[in-house]
This record gives sequence, C-alpha cells and structure tokens, in this order.
Amino acid sequence: MSTVVIDTCAGQEDGREALAAAAIASLDLDLQIVVVGDEGMITAALQGIAHDAERLRVVHACDVLPEDVNVRAAPPRSSVAVGLELTARDPDAIFISAGPPGSIVSLALHTLGRLPAVPRAALAAVYPTLRHRGPNDDPFALLLDVGATIECNSEHLVCFAAMGAAYASKISGVERPRVGLLANGSVSSATPLRVREAHARLRDRALPFEYLGLMRGDQVTHGDADVIVTDGFSGDVLVRTLEGVAATADALIRRAEERFQWRLGVQMLGGGIAKLREFTDWENYGGAPLLGVDRPVIVTQGNSGRRAFVNAIRLGAKMQRLGVIEAVAAGAAAVAEEPDL
Amino acid sequence: MSGEWMGSGHLLHLRWDLDKTYLRTEFDSMKDLIKTYRQKAEDKVAVSGARALLQALLDPHERRTRRVTFVSGSPTQMRAVLTRKLRLDGIEPDVFILKPNLGNIVSGRFRSIRGQVGYKLAALMRTYVEAVHLDELLFGDDAEQDAFIYSLYADILAGRVDAVQLASILAACKLYRQEVDEVMALHGRLFNTGDAVRRIFIHLEARSPIDRFAPYGARAVPIYNYLQAALVLHQGEVLRARDIVTVLEAMSQAGYTPERLSNSVQDLVRRGVVQVADVERLAAELGAVETTRGRTVSTFIRRLRTTVADLEHVRRASPEWIEEINYLGLYHSARFRRTRHRFFGIPLLD
Repeated sequence: MSTVVIDTCAGQEDGREALAAAAIASLDLDLQIVVVGDEGMITAALQGIAHDAERLRVVHACDVLPEDVNVRAAPPRSSVAVGLELTARDPDAIFISAGPPGSIVSLALHTLGRLPAVPRAALAAVYPTLRHRGPNDDPFALLLDVGATIECNSEHLVCFAAMGAAYASKISGVERPRVGLLANGSVSSATPLRVREAHARLRDRALPFEYLGLMRGDQVTHGDADVIVTDGFSGDVLVRTLEGVAATADALIRRAEERFQWRLGVQMLGGGIAKLREFTDWENYGGAPLLGVDRPVIVTQGNSGRRAFVNAIRLGAKMQRLGVIEAVAAGAAAVAEEPDL
Repeated sequence: MSGEWMGSGHLLHLRWDLDKTYLRTEFDSMKDLIKTYRQKAEDKVAVSGARALLQALLDPHERRTRRVTFVSGSPTQMRAVLTRKLRLDGIEPDVFILKPNLGNIVSGRFRSIRGQVGYKLAALMRTYVEAVHLDELLFGDDAEQDAFIYSLYADILAGRVDAVQLASILAACKLYRQEVDEVMALHGRLFNTGDAVRRIFIHLEARSPIDRFAPYGARAVPIYNYLQAALVLHQGEVLRARDIVTVLEAMSQAGYTPERLSNSVQDLVRRGVVQVADVERLAAELGAVETTRGRTVSTFIRRLRTTVADLEHVRRASPEWIEEINYLGLYHSARFRRTRHRFFGIPLLD
C-alpha cells in the first residue's frame, strides 16, 4: 500500500485545505497518509472533519521553509524537510507539498537523490489541449520543465524529453508519445544554440517516442504534441501565461454579469462556460510532478484548495501504482546510453 | 462527575448495541435490509476486534461479576439467527432485547419503527441491575442516536436529568404516549440511583467528525476500532496487557496492518484520551507478553514506539467531564442535519 506524505504548512487557509484533502483521501482511498505540520493545529482541525484516523498519522514539524532556500540553510524541522525525510525512508511513499517550489526541488534532490542517468530534475505541468489522448481520452498534455532547472543545456532537454515521454506513456497510456521542443519558430537556425543542439540529437536518433520537432507557442494548446519540452525559465513563463489567460477570461465573464442584457447572454451560455471553466481549472490537474528524483514528488500551487490536493494525492497514488519512477529512470537511461547523445 | 474506574469486586454491566457496533451490518437501503434479514448466522460478520474485546471482558474468571445485555434495533423475528451468531462467537448474553417492529406496524406506531430514543432508553432502564457497587460500560455507534440515548440514561441514573427535563426531551423526540409513560415510570424508579456509567464507547462506523460527540464530555469516547476501546479499558485497569494482545491479534487477522493499529493509538494520544506515559507503560507491558506471542505484537510495539517519538512534545489535557448536557439542543441539531441531508442532499458528515 502506498504512503502519501502531505505537507500541511502550505496551501489555502494556512494548510487547512491540505489537511481536509488528507481527511477525504483517508476515507475514500486505500492509502496510508502521513500529515506533516503543526500537530496542535492538525489535531484541533481534524476534530471537526470526517476522517479515518486508522489511515492517518501525524508528524509534528512547523518551521517555516523560506523561498529558494539553500539546502544547508533550510530549517531541519520544516514540514518539507521532515516530509521528504519520511518519504526517503519508505520506498512506497509519495510526497505532496504546496510550499515554495524552488526550495522543494533543492531539498528533494538533496534528500531523495537524483535517478541514475538524470543530469537535472524537471517539474512537469499539465495543460488543457484541444486534442485528447490515450485510452482515457485525457484532455491535457505535459509541459516540462516549468521551473526546476532554469539554466539548461541540450543534454538536459533531451533527458526531459525522455522523462516526459515515459511519464505520458504511463499516466495517459499513450503507447508512443509525441514529443515537441518549444521554440520561437519551426526553423532551427532561428532558435538558441541549446535548442538547436537538442533538436539535432532528438531528430537523428531512434527513440522510444515520436519526436515531432520544433513547435511554436501557438501550437502548444492545439495538442499536437503529448509532451512539450523546454527549459525551466521558458516553461514557467509559458505555464503562468496560460493560467493568466484562463483567469482573465474568467474575470471577463464575471464582469459581463454586471449588465442585465449581458447577464442574460452569459446565462444562456451557462453550460458551455461551466465546461470551459472545468476544462481550464488547474485544480482539476492536481499538481506538477517533479521528474528525475527517486520518489514521486508533487508540487502543487501555493494557493491550492482541497480539490487540487485530492487530485494530487490521486495522481501520486497512480504514479506509484503504475511504476512511473521506474519508467522515467528507464527512459532517461535509454537516451543517456547513446554514446553520441 | 466522576471519571474514576471501577475497583475489584464490582458488578460490571456491559451494554452492547448490535448492528454496526458488534456486527458489520448494512441497512442504508431496502436492498441492504432484505439482505441482512435473510442472512444466515454463519454469514454474519462481527466488527474487527469486537468479539475479542467482548470475550476478554467476559473472561470466565470474572464472569460472575460481569453481565452483558444486548439492546438492538433489529426486529424480534431475527432473534434465532442473532442468538445463534452470538453463540457461534462464544458469547452468551444475559439479556437480549430486540425491537418489536411488527407490533409497532400492527398498532400503527410508525414513528417507533425508525425512532430509537423511546425504545432504547426504556430497554436500558428496564434492564438496569441493582447492585451496591455497579459500573456500566456502554457500546454503541454513530449511525443512530446511541451517544444521545446512552448519555441521557447515564444522567438519569446520576440524578442530573429530572422528570421535568426528561418530559420536555421526550416531547421533542415525539414519542408516543405509551412510550412516554413507560420511560417516566422507570425514571421515577431509577432517578439518582448512582453515577454508574463509566464510559460510553461510540464506534465511528460512519466516520462522523469527533467533535460531534464533544458535547457529551469525556464519558463518551468515540472510537475508530476496538483496539482503541481496549486501550482505554486497559488504562482504566479493566483489561490486562494480554487482553490487548488478544484484540490486536484478532484485528491483525482481520487485515489490520501495524500502521493502522499504531495510527489508532496516536489518534487517542492526540485527543488526550490516552497519555504518552500510558502508551509507554503499555509498550513495556506488551514487551513482557511478547515473549510468548508472535510477530504481530513485536511489530506493533515497534510502531508504538515510533508513535510515541512522533508525539513526544504532546502534553494534551484529557477531555473534560461535562456536568450539564443540553439534550434538547443536541437533539435538534441532529434532526437539522438529518433534514438537511434528506431535502438538500448535504452529507451527514458535513
């Protein structure tokens, strides 16, 4: 049985939403759950929430983890540090946190270690696309890296492509995922050197996935590719732009409700708008798995509510059940073994 | 109110509900009800650890001073099969009361078919055993109104609910005249006979939030499983360490992992029901028993020690005993939750 270690010091309502998600998971899912955080707060809050105490263990740790902290300077009793320690000790454990992503990535790499053949870890976010994929008809594709490795070289990008493809093949059930490399044009001469080199390496090799080539930003949401690969800086900018566009569209719809005639129009489109909201709501997709470390680690947004956490828990359990970490390790090893790569 | 446990030589009267407390029963739909009704004794399954706990409490060496009464909401037509089930489990109840539902239908008392307050309160009071030193332990669940009924019964014995208060509570519960008359007559006989109820264990079958039982005070102990009840009874020196081992082994055989068992202990410590020192004492006592028993115990002890290490900073005050319980308020809030659930589909657990 999998163990989900969940950090309850971050997320909406000072972590209470993470705790509510842990309580829901204790009732609905066949998992052991370890909640790490301020034990006093957790116990008091749990009194009022339906939960299964048999499946829930509480570990006290309430030091605050600052953003982008150096591993050596990280408080040893922060919920993230303690949670990752517990995850490292249990081969079936999954770690979930809405804490500062930069600090989580460095602590996770330090505590859990990188997989062999993985030069850099990558945060993988999903985004909704027009095209659906896999036997489950998943309406999203994978984008990595979205912030774990800001400075990348071509070797890192090739490894990200392999890790992303391995992840997509397991989670979405796509037999031969289609992978694209994010660029500012389809002609390689116009792209930065690292992208050009990575493109050449991916194009000229036999790979366990289908390499589609360079892809522009506007092609991302069409969903031609199951996996889009980029460096952490561009990926973070892109994913936040996509979220910003969805949030702005939502705000515009709300603004339209100010006038009576517009409100009538919005009401008539109600079903479609609700579907659109559902489609673009990031909470439906849980969080961003950190690929390249030796355990499933999922980083959720700082303002995550219980739905995001529950979906992150489900995703983590699925990763553990389907052996995603082993697949990612094998994928990374396959591209690293090529002497020319 | 006294939180004291019984001493040696007392009469210990155990009161057990049957469905969802002792037996794993589903009666949330008509299909479940029919299935339960048609089930054979051999097919009925006890809640993990319930049988072991009850057998430990009815230890043959102590049986002379122990008494067990089952008060169940199941219909009287099920007496044969339920008696057989208890016999298969090695349990011989001194009194076994079932609900006369056919009689309720024939006499047109339809509210009594679903209602539990009038039936169970009267049954508890009728089966009260007079003794110089009497202690009672009550076991119920969160599917019905057991915490409410058991606490009311305890407070009648302790002289904290007088006839006027009781009459207004029974009126709010919309009992039939005949039921009210019976309960009031029994109240006249039992009022202020002694604070005999030591603990009310509420098995959280529906996983209700713990704070729903806080208004009943420390006397009502919500439990997720019977290991938790056994630990509280061990703390009160009603059970010995080897009885805990018996319950542990029964639950382990039912599929409980050492993690789930130690999480249950941690839950009690965090709620202040059991103190860290009690867990340490238990671990030492279990260590002595371990030499003669299998791996289950040693793994559990190891997990217990980890649990204690997780909570070494916790110094939680025990829940308070509450002198005055607002029964009318509690009844109305429970009714509000049920109505909200029925008409708006809001989950009962919210």
